[in-house]
Amino acid sequence: MGEDEEEMNCQQFQEVLPYIIESGGNEEEEAHLRSCPSCAELVRDLRYIAEQAKLLLPMHDPNPRVWNNIEQSLHQEGLLPEGRMSRQGHTMTYPTPTQSKSWTPIGWLMALAALTVFAAVLVNYKPSLPAAQSTAQNSSTQPAQLATDDQQVIGQMSQEDPGVRRAYEDGLREADAYISDAEQAVKLDPQDAVAQEELVEAHAQKEMLYQMAAARSLQ
Amino acid sequence: MTETRVVPVAPNAASGTRIERLGRVFLVFAVVLTGAVANAQSQPQTGRKEIRFDVAPNGTINLVNDAGLVTLKTGPGHQVVMIYSPHSNKMEVDRESTPDNRRVEIRSHALNGQQPTAEEAKVDMELTVPAGVAMSVSTSTAPITAEGLAGDVTLSSDTGQITVANMVRSHLHVRSVAGPVNLTNLSLGHVDVTSSGGAVKMVNVTGPKVNVATGSGNIIYQGDCSGVGDYLITTHSGDIDMTLPQTASVDLNARSVSGHVENDFPLQAKKHPVFVPKAGSSFAGTSNSGSSSVELRSFSGRIRVKKQ
Repeated sequence: MGEDEEEMNCQQFQEVLPYIIESGGNEEEEAHLRSCPSCAELVRDLRYIAEQAKLLLPMHDPNPRVWNNIEQSLHQEGLLPEGRMSRQGHTMTYPTPTQSKSWTPIGWLMALAALTVFAAVLVNYKPSLPAAQSTAQNSSTQPAQLATDDQQVIGQMSQEDPGVRRAYEDGLREADAYISDAEQAVKLDPQDAVAQEELVEAHAQKEMLYQMAAARSLQ
Repeated sequence: MTETRVVPVAPNAASGTRIERLGRVFLVFAVVLTGAVANAQSQPQTGRKEIRFDVAPNGTINLVNDAGLVTLKTGPGHQVVMIYSPHSNKMEVDRESTPDNRRVEIRSHALNGQQPTAEEAKVDMELTVPAGVAMSVSTSTAPITAEGLAGDVTLSSDTGQITVANMVRSHLHVRSVAGPVNLTNLSLGHVDVTSSGGAVKMVNVTGPKVNVATGSGNIIYQGDCSGVGDYLITTHSGDIDMTLPQTASVDLNARSVSGHVENDFPLQAKKHPVFVPKAGSSFAGTSNSGSSSVELRSFSGRIRVKKQ
């Protein structure tokens, strides 16, 4: 199987991921993002985390007018006695918009937590689909539609145990993904003998499933 | 003078009454027993049954049992001993043999008109076969356990676990859709395993030829890959974990298209590698004299080789 030096794979992409989050990627990295749904989803998630972390700090005190309105409402409702909130002789100061903003301890903690989650996702994320290929599978949350032939095979198993039928459905989806990936590899390098062997093996997997399903339906 | 009064009494009245009572009890018992026997004979019996039949020395036994258990062993003699236990009286086991006993078909099935539940459809089977008899077993959910068999053995299951141990100089073919496959102590034979989603675990499996292929099932190998053999272990998206002793004599190639590859086993670089190794994606090398060829391939799964 030939090693493709020109197209970036997921592992190479993740090595430069922290830089892409900050400032965007180069053409090669952007091309990989466009072609790999797994890495694209990861980048979206990480950018969202980074944006949300920014919103947590700094903390601003509200405008003094807000406090005055609250005090008036409380007086009107009789919740505050007269004179209690009087500030004559008592100087209260509020930070003005021109004052520099300070980070509160809670803000620091939340920022630290967001960065920790960011780092954990970056370290542990592992794409489940190979890069630069279109497979029969969609995202992991939505199983791919079975091909017509596969649906016919499953249809013949309507009398089988639901767990068995599900096992065949999953197996056929996996085999179709395998065939798709192997075809991609052969397309990238038609002279690669290993890629050709992989394609044969992928078809053999599907053939096994068909044979077993046929034997099951005959029984 | 005393007067003796004679009171006439019916002869054995008390004993007669007892006899009548016993007779009635016996009659009732006999009726009930007869009814029970008649009812039992009209329907197949559950419970353990044992039958023996002949098979030709190089014969073949084909067994189909969808649910329950299947256990295979080797025994002395020239007869097959089959012990089976249906879980309900809705199932029966048929056996047919060719006139020369070279082929025997064994199949469990539901009786006509019966629709057993999943539990009622189970039949537990245990076969003790002479050495050298070829076996072909197919199940749907029933686990298959094979111990000490020889000859050609084909085991196939949709979701049942397949466990094979202690086979020497045999050809083993295993097919699984989603059930796990466990192979232990298989040597000097041909091993061919194809599994879609089921994991495959091999402990001390060696031979001239070992081929294991999965779609998404993980593959674990613990052993020394001895036997001057060809070992081809491939998977699409499963992980491959191989643990070798330092004494293993292997010519090892490992590559993954988009998965990660790790090697903690000491290898010497090859003078003429088939491909150029790339850190994290592939590696190649030999250990000791490189007697056995070991090829590990994956598309997106992780490959890891460790030292024992």
